[in-house]
Amino acid sequence: MSLELEKVSILKFGSAIFDPVNIVIKPGEITTVMGPSGCGKSTLLSAVSGSLDAVFTLKGSIRLYGRELLTLPMEERNIGMLFQDDLLFPHMNIGSNLAFAIKEKTSGEQRKTMIEKALKTAGLEGFEKRDPSSLSGGQKARVSLLRSLLADPSALLMDEPFSKLDQSLKAKIRDFVFSQIKRMNIPALLVTHDPLDCPEGGMILNLNNKEG
Amino acid sequence: MRLSRQGTSRIFPVFVIGLFGITILSGLLGTLLPSMNYLPVIGHKHVSLSVWFDFFSYPGIKTSILVTLFSGLTASFGVVIFVFLFITFSYGNALWKIFEKILSPVLSIPHAAFAIGFGFLIAPSGWLIRMVSPGLTGFVYPPDWSILNDPAGISLAIALVIKEFPFLIMVTMGALGQLDIEKTLLAGRALGYKKEQIWLKILIPRLYPHLRLSIFAIIAYSLSVVDMAIILGPSSPPPLAVLILKWFNDPDMSFKLIAAAGSLFLFFVVVLSVLLVYLIERSACFVSESWITNGKRHSFSARFKSIVFFMGVCIIGFTMVSSVVLVVWSLTWQWRFPDFLPAVWTLKFWAKGLVSSFDPVMTTMFTGMAAAFIGLILTIGCLEHDVNFQTNHIMQGKAQNNNKTLYYFLYLPLLVPQITFMAGIQLLLVIMKIDGYWIALMWSHLLFVLPYMFISLSATYRAFDRRLTDQAMLLGRPYMIVLFRIKLPMLLRPILFSFAIGFAVSVAQYIPTILVGAGRFSTITTQVVNIASGSDRRAIAVYALIQQFLPMIIYALAIILPKILYYNKKGMQV
Repeated sequence: MSLELEKVSILKFGSAIFDPVNIVIKPGEITTVMGPSGCGKSTLLSAVSGSLDAVFTLKGSIRLYGRELLTLPMEERNIGMLFQDDLLFPHMNIGSNLAFAIKEKTSGEQRKTMIEKALKTAGLEGFEKRDPSSLSGGQKARVSLLRSLLADPSALLMDEPFSKLDQSLKAKIRDFVFSQIKRMNIPALLVTHDPLDCPEGGMILNLNNKEG
Repeated sequence: MRLSRQGTSRIFPVFVIGLFGITILSGLLGTLLPSMNYLPVIGHKHVSLSVWFDFFSYPGIKTSILVTLFSGLTASFGVVIFVFLFITFSYGNALWKIFEKILSPVLSIPHAAFAIGFGFLIAPSGWLIRMVSPGLTGFVYPPDWSILNDPAGISLAIALVIKEFPFLIMVTMGALGQLDIEKTLLAGRALGYKKEQIWLKILIPRLYPHLRLSIFAIIAYSLSVVDMAIILGPSSPPPLAVLILKWFNDPDMSFKLIAAAGSLFLFFVVVLSVLLVYLIERSACFVSESWITNGKRHSFSARFKSIVFFMGVCIIGFTMVSSVVLVVWSLTWQWRFPDFLPAVWTLKFWAKGLVSSFDPVMTTMFTGMAAAFIGLILTIGCLEHDVNFQTNHIMQGKAQNNNKTLYYFLYLPLLVPQITFMAGIQLLLVIMKIDGYWIALMWSHLLFVLPYMFISLSATYRAFDRRLTDQAMLLGRPYMIVLFRIKLPMLLRPILFSFAIGFAVSVAQYIPTILVGAGRFSTITTQVVNIASGSDRRAIAVYALIQQFLPMIIYALAIILPKILYYNKKGMQV
């Protein structure tokens, strides 16, 4: 159960770009997809998130807690995603960025406390009114994760989320991200080319590029 | 029905293609029928070719056609060749950067206002001759030269080149973003080619397809321009388009038939000219193949470079100074030849002009705002549909992009001479007895507003980082919320800019206002053109400046508003 990829292959101009993928990720677990750049790692992620480019054709089945994802539009998949860049919305302050992710039904008061609490876990108390561009790279990365988690996703995808961070920051942010995934107890899929990024004890899948 | 990423957004391109196609086709039909002597409203019901005989035997018609061909084609070839030379020699240099900065305000200058300022510069009693008189020339009275309204239309052609140049540069700048300029230049230089040779041999051939439609539009415009031709062109006989308008406004209704024939003929002239240019392009492709691969890498002489540089400076100079001379004239009370500046200044003409232009200005503002606003909705709708078409979240591989079709339809109003299908639409409206409505006027403006808005917004809109909207959708928010709270606010600057361009285009419209407005609506532009010949220069200058000022206000707002709204958001500042 949880996040299952069954015989997933992606075709471009009729030929598969990698061997069919079969993965089962349990809640709280992180599976790492590795492979050289251009092997289709990110494409695999966008297939799961629902943002696959039109040049690709997708085969197989992707299920989240038993629910087939492939027929759902991305906003209904309930999947969070972290990219290389923080992708904070530059025209909103930190508080609004986080509030944007919280479900509509939540009351205003509740929103405020949720944001406060989230910022506290990341050591960013009182950052609500700050402009995203005034934050450091590590701070932005943390806010970005907080935002994804505030949407209460059922799974988290990560596309090389640490690759643009300084070496000194990397380990710290990585630990923060992994601990949050454990806390939320959701399945996570991580794409990276850095072996150091793999969490201890997590599954590793090597993606072979067929086009060479 | 839920508006989602795919699906219903298709209504936008379908709506645009449908209405543009129908309007232009009916416009052409509306000229075709009267040109065949069919206009039941005035009792002509028997189809015949007699109108065409009347047209070709009209006194001075041959000269009119020749003047049209000469000024229109000279201007078109001139501007295209000069743009190519300019990129080749000036890409990336200081002059190019100045152009990048001043492009939008320069583009926003209405044709009529520019033509009037240009006329005030080059006339025998104009500023240029005053600058050198009597010192160099010895003139104490204005010389008896026919520089302005010269019989061959040379001053008209030059003004057209200056006015069309920034437009083609704008299109070029948009297209350059899609070519790997820096890489190509690097690769070429590694092979020992000089920068200019790389431009001429590699980049311009790759650039041309992106400019082709705009060049066709320039040809159509130059051959059929009316407002600039009234102000700067010859008067007896005038260029064909001006003659057609004269016929159209003749109190004798039967002249409408000749007008229809004339505008259809003008359309043929445009089609033939476009074909000619296409043939030139094809044969240039064929002939230049051996030249491109002949291996010559040498640079051009410095003198050639400085000529191009000088001409670039001239274009900027003439555009700027023709606005300045308008300001000077508008403040003049007494200005004797050959004084360089007026002897007595006054604000009287401003006071008078502002009062008397109030109603036309309101009509202009109202029409321009409405057209630009509707244009904006359609532009964003079409672009959004287009961008989303490239994503498919469901297991479907059937993404056929219909953007190309839309693109051609959007360009149609720019490729058919305005007067041809505007005259046809007006005749149809008259036939159906529904002429003279504001909504028709606004729609006719929209036909020209929309293409420019689309051209100006599409590159930035398509370049929007899709991961941002993806991220927002993945946070579980519906598409419309993501669009209105993330994407459009982030694109506020280019969106307002596109709005400003749309507004400026609407302000500048002369033919649609005159024809479709059926004389019931006067805008600042129709006023300017009406008083341009014969009235007091000081009053003309005031009107021309008001016309120039309106788009400037909107441009200024488009620049200032994002700065105010996002003053504390560093990531939104460019």
